[in-house]
Amino acid sequence: MRYLITHRTEYEYSEIVSCSHNEARLLPRSSPSQICHAASIRVVPEPIDYSERADFFGNRAAYFFIGEPHKRFCVVATSEVEVIAARQMDFSNLMQWESARDCLTDSPDALQYALDSPYVERSEQLAAYAQPSFSRERPLIDAVNDLMRRIHVEFTYDPGFTTLATPLSEVMSHRRGVCQDFAHLAIGCLRSMGLAARYVSGYIETLPAPGCEKLIGADASHAWFSVHVPEHGWMDFDPTNNQVPSERHIVLAWGRDYGDVAPLKGVIFGGGEHELDVSVDVRAIVASS
Amino acid sequence: MDLQEFIYSAEPGTYDEMLDGEGRVRPHWEYMMRAFRGLGPAGLERRRMEAEKLLRENGVTYNAYNDPGRPWQLDPVPLLVSSEEWSQIESGLLERAELLNLILSDLYGPRELIRKKLLPLELIYGHGGFLRACDGIRLRGHHQLIVYAADLARGPDNRMWVLGDRTQAPSGAGYALENRVAMTRILPSLFRDSHVHRLALFFQSLRAGLQAIAPEQAENPRVVVLTPGPLNETFFEHAYLAAYLGYTLVQGEDLTVSDGHVWLKSLSGLEHVDVILRRVDDDYCDPLELREDSRLGVAGLVEAARRGNVAIANPLGSSILENPGMLAFLPGIAAHFLGRELRLPSAATWWCGQKLEMDYVLNNLERLVIKPTYRSPGARPVFGSLLDKASLEYWREKIKARPHAYVGQEQEGFSTVPALSSGEFAPRHAVLRSFIVSRPDGYTVMPGGLTRSATLKGDMLVSNQDGGISKDTWVLASEPEKLVSIVMKPTPEQVAVARGTVSSRVADNLFWVGRYAERAEGTIRLLRAVIGRLYYDPDSIGSEYGAATNCLLQAVMRLTGTYPGFFGEADLVPEPDAELFSVILDEGRAGSLAYTLRSLMRSGLAVRDLWSQDAWRVLEELEQHLSDAHTLAVSSDLLHEMDRMINALSAFGGLVMESMARGGGWIFLDMGRRLERGMMLFSLLKSTLTKRQGEFVEELLVEAALEASDNLIGYRQYHRNSMELPACLELLLLDERNPRSAVYQAARLEEHAASLPRHRAAGRLGIEERYALEASSALRLVDLDDLSLVDATGARQNLEQLLARMGYLFGSFSNALTSAYFRHEHSPQTISSLRTA
Repeated sequence: MRYLITHRTEYEYSEIVSCSHNEARLLPRSSPSQICHAASIRVVPEPIDYSERADFFGNRAAYFFIGEPHKRFCVVATSEVEVIAARQMDFSNLMQWESARDCLTDSPDALQYALDSPYVERSEQLAAYAQPSFSRERPLIDAVNDLMRRIHVEFTYDPGFTTLATPLSEVMSHRRGVCQDFAHLAIGCLRSMGLAARYVSGYIETLPAPGCEKLIGADASHAWFSVHVPEHGWMDFDPTNNQVPSERHIVLAWGRDYGDVAPLKGVIFGGGEHELDVSVDVRAIVASS
Repeated sequence: MDLQEFIYSAEPGTYDEMLDGEGRVRPHWEYMMRAFRGLGPAGLERRRMEAEKLLRENGVTYNAYNDPGRPWQLDPVPLLVSSEEWSQIESGLLERAELLNLILSDLYGPRELIRKKLLPLELIYGHGGFLRACDGIRLRGHHQLIVYAADLARGPDNRMWVLGDRTQAPSGAGYALENRVAMTRILPSLFRDSHVHRLALFFQSLRAGLQAIAPEQAENPRVVVLTPGPLNETFFEHAYLAAYLGYTLVQGEDLTVSDGHVWLKSLSGLEHVDVILRRVDDDYCDPLELREDSRLGVAGLVEAARRGNVAIANPLGSSILENPGMLAFLPGIAAHFLGRELRLPSAATWWCGQKLEMDYVLNNLERLVIKPTYRSPGARPVFGSLLDKASLEYWREKIKARPHAYVGQEQEGFSTVPALSSGEFAPRHAVLRSFIVSRPDGYTVMPGGLTRSATLKGDMLVSNQDGGISKDTWVLASEPEKLVSIVMKPTPEQVAVARGTVSSRVADNLFWVGRYAERAEGTIRLLRAVIGRLYYDPDSIGSEYGAATNCLLQAVMRLTGTYPGFFGEADLVPEPDAELFSVILDEGRAGSLAYTLRSLMRSGLAVRDLWSQDAWRVLEELEQHLSDAHTLAVSSDLLHEMDRMINALSAFGGLVMESMARGGGWIFLDMGRRLERGMMLFSLLKSTLTKRQGEFVEELLVEAALEASDNLIGYRQYHRNSMELPACLELLLLDERNPRSAVYQAARLEEHAASLPRHRAAGRLGIEERYALEASSALRLVDLDDLSLVDATGARQNLEQLLARMGYLFGSFSNALTSAYFRHEHSPQTISSLRTA
C-alpha cells in the first residue's frame, strides 16, 4: 500500500517569538517493512538554517532555526511511503520467551532496548503485570500478543487523563492513558521480563464510517511498540488498537521511548502562551498488488 | 632530625608522607621541617592566618550547597613529592590520559570496545553520561579529552593509586594556582630555596591546547569560559581562570546559536565564538537536544558542535568516563590498546551490573565503599565499614534493585600527611588531584596539584563539600629550575580591553554596580547628616528645629524610596529610632541601606572576573561592615560603622576610576553612577529647599543638604559659614567644575552617550544623547535668581519645576539605555507537539 501523508503542526503565540531552534523527526525512515519514496518539511516563517542527519537510532532528524520575529509557526511534513505488508508477522516462530531473554546479550543492537530509559524504568510492578502472559516456555510472540490484548482490554483510552509527565506507575494504578502510555507500558513490561522492546512513532490510516467521505486531517500521529525476536528481527504490536500492524501503520522513527523520537520539539525565545493545532492526513494513493 | 617544638607522630600501620616507619623525617621533607622549626608553631600559625587573610581578601571562595561563599582553606604545610617519585606518577598519568582519550573516541565513534566485549554495553548505554545526541562529534586533532584530572592517593602498598577520574569539567586547577600564589607570599624564601616546580607551564599548555582544537577556519580563535554562574560551587575558579587565561567569562544566556555557529552577544553586536572551555555539566548545555529543563545552556549548541563550528572542551558526553564502573575494565582495555598493564593502578572496583561481581559486593559490603555509577548532586560514597546491620541490609536491597547503578570499591587505607590543626601537626588522610591538559604534541601534567586533607582524624572521605582543607603540592626539583617565561598575569582590565568584548549582561551588571554604589554612598551621607543633627546637636530642641528634622526625615524617605517611612499612619517623627534602624539594616526592605549594599554585592559578584583583587577586597570589606552593623543597638553607634562604609565605598569608587580601563564596560558603570548621583540630588533638594522656611531652619537645611551631598567643604572654601540658598544652589546644580553638581553629571552622561556603540542613522543623535543634552543645556541656561524666587504660597516653583524636569530626563535616559543595550530577553521555553492518538 502506498500513502501520501501530510502532518501539519501550527503554533499561535500570545507574544512575539524572537527566534526558535527546532528539531523534528517527521521524515519517515525506510525499513524492512516500508520504503519512503519522498519526504520533505516546509516551515513558515522560512528557517534561515536547515539541516538533516541520521540520529543515533538511524532516524531522520531535521534541525532548523528561525531567526525572524513571529507569532505564528507552522510546520508541514509531507511524505510518500510504501508499506510492505507481507514482512510484518510470523506467528509460526515458536521461540520460547525465556530463550529470547537468555540470548539477548549476543545482540548489542537489541540489548540497548532492554535497559531502562528516561520514560521507562523497569520495576517489580511491571513484571508482575506482565507475568500472567509469560507462562513457562510459552512462545515469545504468543506471550507478547497476549500482553497486548490484555493492555487493550484492561486499560481505558482516555485522552484527558495523562500528560507526558505522567509516570508509568500512575498509568498502571488508574488503568488509563493514550497510545504513548500503552506503548511505554508494554515496553516497561517486556523490559522488566528481561526482553528488548522499542518505541515506534508513526501514523495509522483511519477509515471513514461506511458511506461517509474521509475528512482531511482526521488521522493522528500514533505510537506502538516493537519486540525483538532473536534470529528474526523486530515485530510490531499496537496495544491501543489490539492489532499487529500490517498495511495501515506507517513508521516515522523508533527509539527507546518517546523522548528519542518526539516528532517536533523546540526552544523558543519569548512567545508567552501558545495554542497548538495538529492535523494529520494519511491518504492511500495506489493499492499495491 | 627531631622536630623539637613540633610533636608529630604517624598513625601506627599507616604510611605517612613525612615520617618513615622508624619515625624519622624522610630526606625530601627535611629542609622544610628545619625551616618550620625555625618559625616555631606560633610563627607557622601566623603564616597560616596570613594565608587565610590573603585568600579571603582575594575572594577565593567555594560555594558549598548550604554555605555559599565559604572562604577557601589553605594549610601552609604543603605535600612534598620527590622528583623521582613524581616522574613515575607523571608517566602514569600521561598513559592514563591517552587511554581515556582512546576510550572516549571509541565510545562516540566505532564503539569497538563494546563489540569486542571489553566494555559491557549496559555499563555505557545504561549510564546517564552517555549522550546519544553527541554520537559522532569529533574535535579536530588526535585528542578528544582535552582537560583531565585524576584523584590520587597512596595505598597501603606505598604505591599511588587512582581513586577516580574527572573528565567532565574538572575543577581545582585554579585553586591550585591560587594556593601557590598564597604560599609564595607567606613563605617566600622557603619556596625559593626548595626548588619547587612551577605551575605556569601547565597553563601555557592549556592555552595552546584550546587554541589547537579551534575550528580550522578560525585565525585568531575566541575562547570563552562557560560558567553556570555565581551560585555554582566553584564559580570563583571560573572567573579566576577566565581572567588568568585572558578569556571572556560567559553564561549560557550570553551566547546564541545562529547559522550553526555560536555567537557572543556583545554590546556592539554578535561576535563569533570558536572554543568553549566548559564548566557547565554536559547534559545541561543544550535545552534543545539534551536536558530540556536546563536554563544554563545554549539552544542549538550540540548542532553547532556537530557541524564543527565550535569546539567544546571537554566535549559534550565526556562525563561517561567518570563512571566508576569503568575502572573495573581499564586493565583489559589497557591490554587491548597499549598491550601492557597500567603504570598507575586504579582502586579495585566491582561493577554490580554483572552477576558474579554483584555477589562479591553483596557478600563483602561491610569492607567496601559503595559508589553510584552516575554522579548526582548530594550522592556520596557510602563506607560499608561505617554501616550497622540494618543499613547494610538496606544497601544490599538497593543494589539488588538496580545493580547496574552501583559499584563496590576496595576501601584503601590512604597515607597521611602532616596537617596544621589548632597550632599542632596531626596526621590526616589526603588525596591529591592532579591535572592534565592536551597539547598538540601530547598531554602535559601539572607538576603538583591540589592536595586536600580530611578535617578529622581517621576520616577517609575528603571532599570540598564536607569542608576538607587544601594544601599546595610541591614537586621538588633536584636543582633549581630554570625560570620559564611565566605567563604574565593580565589584569582583568587588560583582559576586557584585549578582547574588546563587553557582553550585554556584563554591561547591565556594571551599570547597576555604578548605581548601587552611588546609591549606598548617598544614602549613608544623608543618614549621617540626619543622625548627627538628631542626636548630637545641643540645640536640637524647639519647634524650628522640628521643622528642619521633618524635612530631613522626608528626604530620607524619598531618597531611599522607603515610603511611607516616618509619615505613615503612626507618626514616627518624634521617635525615629526604630524606623531609622529599619532603613539602615532591614535587608528585606527595598531601598534600605542593607538592601542596597546587598544588591551592589550581587551585581558585583555577577561580574566577578572584571574586578581587580583590590576592588574585590573592598567589596568584601563592605560585607564585613554590614554584618558588624547588625550587632549594634543604638543608631548613634551606627555612625562609626557608616563612616567605615563610606571609606570603603570611596575606595571602590577610586579604584574603579583610577584602574579600570575606559572601555565599553566602564562607561556603563560610570553612567550608572552619574545617573544615580543626579537623581539623588534632585530628591534631596526637593525635600529640603523647595519651600521657604524660617531663616534659622533654612540655614540648617542648606547646611544639611550640603553635607548630605558631600559639598560642605567645597562650599565653605568660598562662603565660610554663611549658609545662603543661592550660593548653595549654584554649587549643587550649576557649577560645572564641581564633580558633584547636577550639570557635571549631565555633561558626563552626554559624553558617554555620544561614545556608545550603536547603529544609528548618520547625523542623528541617539535617544539617550538627546535626554542628556536637554538636561545639561537646561542647567546651563537656567537663571540662578529665578530659582530662588518664592511665590505667594511660600513655594519655590521654578526650582521645583527644574528638579521635576531633571528627574524626568535622568529617568528617561536610564530607561532608554536599558531598552537599547541590556537584553532582557524572555527566558527560553521548550515546546513539544506532544499529544498523539
